[in-house]
Amino acid sequence: MIQHTFGLLVKPGTQWRTIAALPESTLRTLLLYPCILAILPAVAWYYGTTVIGWTVGDYGEPIRLTRESARQICILFYLAMVACVAIIGYSIHWMAATYGATTTVTRGIVLAGFAATPLFIAGLTGFYPILWLDMLIGVVALSWAVYLMYLGIPIVMNIPQERGFLFSSAVLAIAMVILICLMVGSVILWDFGAAPAFTD
Amino acid sequence: MSELNSALQHPTYNYKVVRQFAVMTVVWGIVGMLVGVLIAAQLAWPALNFDLPWLQFGRLRPLHTNAVIFAFGGCALFASSYYIVQRTCQVRLISDALAAFTFWGWQLVIVAAAITLPLGMTQGKEYAELEWPIDILIAVVWVIYAVVFFGTIMKRKTSHIYVANWFLGAFILAVAVLHIVNSMVIPVGMTKSYSVYAGTVDAMVQWWYGHNAVGFFLTAGFLGMMYYFVPKQAERPVYSYRLSIVHFWALVAVYIWAGPHHLHYTALPDWAQSLGMVMSIILLAPSWGGMINGMMTLSGAWDKLRTDPILRFLVVSLSFYGMSTFEGPMMSIRTVNALSHYTDWTIGHVHSGALGWVAMISIGAMYHLIPILFGKARMYSTGLINTHFWMSTIGTVLYIVSMWVNGILQGLMWRAYNQDGTLTYSFVEAVAASYPGYVVRFIGGSIFFGGMLIMAYNVYMTSRRDVEPQAIPATASAA
Repeated sequence: MIQHTFGLLVKPGTQWRTIAALPESTLRTLLLYPCILAILPAVAWYYGTTVIGWTVGDYGEPIRLTRESARQICILFYLAMVACVAIIGYSIHWMAATYGATTTVTRGIVLAGFAATPLFIAGLTGFYPILWLDMLIGVVALSWAVYLMYLGIPIVMNIPQERGFLFSSAVLAIAMVILICLMVGSVILWDFGAAPAFTD
Repeated sequence: MSELNSALQHPTYNYKVVRQFAVMTVVWGIVGMLVGVLIAAQLAWPALNFDLPWLQFGRLRPLHTNAVIFAFGGCALFASSYYIVQRTCQVRLISDALAAFTFWGWQLVIVAAAITLPLGMTQGKEYAELEWPIDILIAVVWVIYAVVFFGTIMKRKTSHIYVANWFLGAFILAVAVLHIVNSMVIPVGMTKSYSVYAGTVDAMVQWWYGHNAVGFFLTAGFLGMMYYFVPKQAERPVYSYRLSIVHFWALVAVYIWAGPHHLHYTALPDWAQSLGMVMSIILLAPSWGGMINGMMTLSGAWDKLRTDPILRFLVVSLSFYGMSTFEGPMMSIRTVNALSHYTDWTIGHVHSGALGWVAMISIGAMYHLIPILFGKARMYSTGLINTHFWMSTIGTVLYIVSMWVNGILQGLMWRAYNQDGTLTYSFVEAVAASYPGYVVRFIGGSIFFGGMLIMAYNVYMTSRRDVEPQAIPATASAA
């Protein structure tokens, strides 16, 4: 599993071809991949927000969350990450026929999980939160993940590159919609009790 | 000049007015986006207003919105609607003189806006800042526009009115009504006037207008553009004609009610706020009808993507349209709005629609139109269109992401309070925390603006009669 991570970061084209050639049973094991990698950001942010804390502007003491609040939020964060990968993976499978690919739900989820690798890794910045740096790293990771998806979909789905471009754009639109759902969902949750509690 | 025009004249159709509007689309796009880049820079580095009154953010911001919406977007809509109505009705515009009047009248409106707004003359209504003499000119030009458009439809040679014309017709009618009702003022001089509405009613009329400027000017009009240029560029029929008719009627019936979501938690009665919210959420369905129809039409043309970067503009514009029309209803939910309103999240939302949808589909349509209008087989450089595509996409993404981060940050900071009930942050702390986002936004906007300059060069080279289009490089599309 680890060699896939490094492979995707170092020589993504070759790695996607290796993944595409894997048999269905191996792919099923790889469903664990996003479940394991999603632990990294959740733990990192739990540590970062409770122990290190972050500052806003040039003022004052670092802000920290209480342990109970951070635990609740990070568990929700972990579940949200896994759910997102699953939903995006399912929609890849759901739309595949439109773009002339035959696939399975497993294949879709594995593709989504691997494409998200840079985002999971970037989540490690949570260990030491610096707002502007995290935003920059986040943007880079996001672009990287999108690039991996555009590269991977035609290879793993075994369709022409141009068709893959349209397919990837449709997946990207769904991913953006899910991102908005997450933002809106968090805002509504904050209002209904899961608001972060800060230490004084 | 007359010799040039006679060489470009079409035997049946009036291409001259389309060409004029198409060229001005590029020109005003550059001007409007340059002002946008300047005010984005001012938010990051306030010293850039140089302590000059006419360079203050408060005066340039309405200039930016007017220039990109009404000058850039408006010229794109005029150009494409005059082109579409002639091609789909198979007749020339009813009057060349009236069409020319709309062109020169509209340019006069834009120039008047560019002079009065920096001088601080304003009615203070968002997206309707222009003072009453200019408002009257707009109304006259717009009525003539309606006469030319509907007159051409009435003498059409085809029995059927193609769906693009339905959208464009709805846009022209609705904007006329909105503009005239919202701009009702009592003048107290050439450059000063007061709204005939008072208090909450004034606010409600303003946002009935404001949201429908989005709904009809920036959505219905551009959907009309989409319904012509997407099937044309893909060389395929519309995926579902029935869907296009159903979502047309749903869209025009629902959009007009959504305005109150701009006035959540204000003096507007609660029932009106809730009604606006419910209508905004329902609006998701007709909006997505258009997106699905466009996406499915394009999905069959994948084999053309290698040689045709214009198709990419159309694909990505529909993706952003789908995203922003989903985001809008979500943000109109009052719980969400309580956090998102007045923050940069709203600015990000507007620009995912304005850059991602409106600008990208206009750019795609212009790249389709301009070679036809100048009698060329294709644009001068396909490679440069491809470069422009990537700059636009990257610029838009940077813009949206930075504003999401800033918006949520601001929303959380404004509402954070300590155990003893005092506010955790002062306002200026939230401003300071927004600085990195403002810099990223400036970078994203600059990249998008740079793409427009590349477009201008490409258009200029296409328009030159002594220059032939470059051969399409085999790797034009290596994505």
